[in-house]
Amino acid sequence: MNVPVDPKTLVAEMSPVSTSEQIASMKKALLKTIQRSAYVYRVDCGGCNGCEIEIFSSITPVFDAERFGIKVVASPRHADILLFTGAVTRSMRMPALRAFEAAPDPKIVVSYGACGCTGGIFHDLYCVWGGTDNIVPVDVYIPGCPPTPAATIHGFAVALGLLEQKLKAETHVELAGEAAALPHPDIPYALRVRLEREARRMAGYRQGRDIAEEFMALLEGRAHTPGSFTLLECMMEAIAEERDPRRAEIIGRLAEVVQQAIRGEAP
Amino acid sequence: MLKLLKEIFRTGEATVKYPFAPMPVCKDFRGKPEHKAEDCIACAACTVACPANAIGMETDTAAGSRTWAINYGRCVFCGRCEESCPTGAIRLSDDFELAVGSKADLTRKAVFTLADCACCGKPFAPAKEVDYVARLLSQSARSAEEADRLRLTVSTCPACKRAQDVHQIAGMGIALQMEAGKPVKELETTP
Repeated sequence: MNVPVDPKTLVAEMSPVSTSEQIASMKKALLKTIQRSAYVYRVDCGGCNGCEIEIFSSITPVFDAERFGIKVVASPRHADILLFTGAVTRSMRMPALRAFEAAPDPKIVVSYGACGCTGGIFHDLYCVWGGTDNIVPVDVYIPGCPPTPAATIHGFAVALGLLEQKLKAETHVELAGEAAALPHPDIPYALRVRLEREARRMAGYRQGRDIAEEFMALLEGRAHTPGSFTLLECMMEAIAEERDPRRAEIIGRLAEVVQQAIRGEAP
Repeated sequence: MLKLLKEIFRTGEATVKYPFAPMPVCKDFRGKPEHKAEDCIACAACTVACPANAIGMETDTAAGSRTWAINYGRCVFCGRCEESCPTGAIRLSDDFELAVGSKADLTRKAVFTLADCACCGKPFAPAKEVDYVARLLSQSARSAEEADRLRLTVSTCPACKRAQDVHQIAGMGIALQMEAGKPVKELETTP
């Protein structure tokens, strides 16, 4: 009756389009001897249009991809580079393949954006193929959600063989005796949590953590310097030095938290 | 014509020099998440927080290792990993040049060893995590004995802790004491 269904049996596995060796050697020759502009055709395979906006901003005068001869064309029959964006939805698979077949060989396929590279945040959605490389062979991946215009230009430079890729696969293996450093060992853990929580409440997780780190470094630094400063005086001095009123307010509030902790009041 | 030329000279060049010169990015730009494996305790907070499942962890109890892996191709640069990291080991950097020719170059891995339970000897948590928590707790411990006891508690697996608790509760003889109405002898339970 109710036999559990293996989800893998419900998904059709289609073999991606493969290219012959002749085309591969032609592609290498194209990259070496290309003496003209590289024409780009955009294939939208069901993206959110964030990637398209970034592609268009990279051909604006500010980033000006056309100074490298990169030109966006309206037909795949004119294209040297095919730019696949989006996570490849089921209904966009055939149009994407038709655009791929329509482009003349040798062609360079670029997978654009997080969705194009691996399916991105939609990778396990029921209606997507999850990445361009599941349907066509891809030469260059440009990750980003969306990639910035500068990242787009870098990606094109990698695709045309002008720049080397920066990213390399790395594996870190834990060394013997490796230990995570305990931050601010001189400050009691309960106080550290209160300070960080208050700073993050006021400034968000990124700036909040930065401000809390700065404040605790200040606290520790003052604790080690000899002198007749009281904590309140130190804090007042730090606040007076601060030029950003928002940061000054947060530091003032953190100083209050320290005072509260000293008096033994509950947060 | 002269007016137009004047306007052009006044405006100057709008195009940026990138890729021939480095591209300045704004403060707190969300670029490639940089993972400092030395500071990571493999607690899996980022793995749980990651909305795109770009960060994943695999535990291999036979080999006694836990492998942390990030796929930059799937990352949506939301910063949830940075938000949830308790040690600040992962942080979004200002590096945006991520284009690669092969998909394998988009992943980064870190392998951590697992600690064995002090009681049953089976691997149960990353050694770095156990060590970090033990040090953090002994920092706020009142005495050396308490610190030792906390360290032992931390390095015991949940199953063993449960078994010990059951054993201690059984030892208390609840039914007997309820009948007698006597105060229960104080027992040291796992905190």
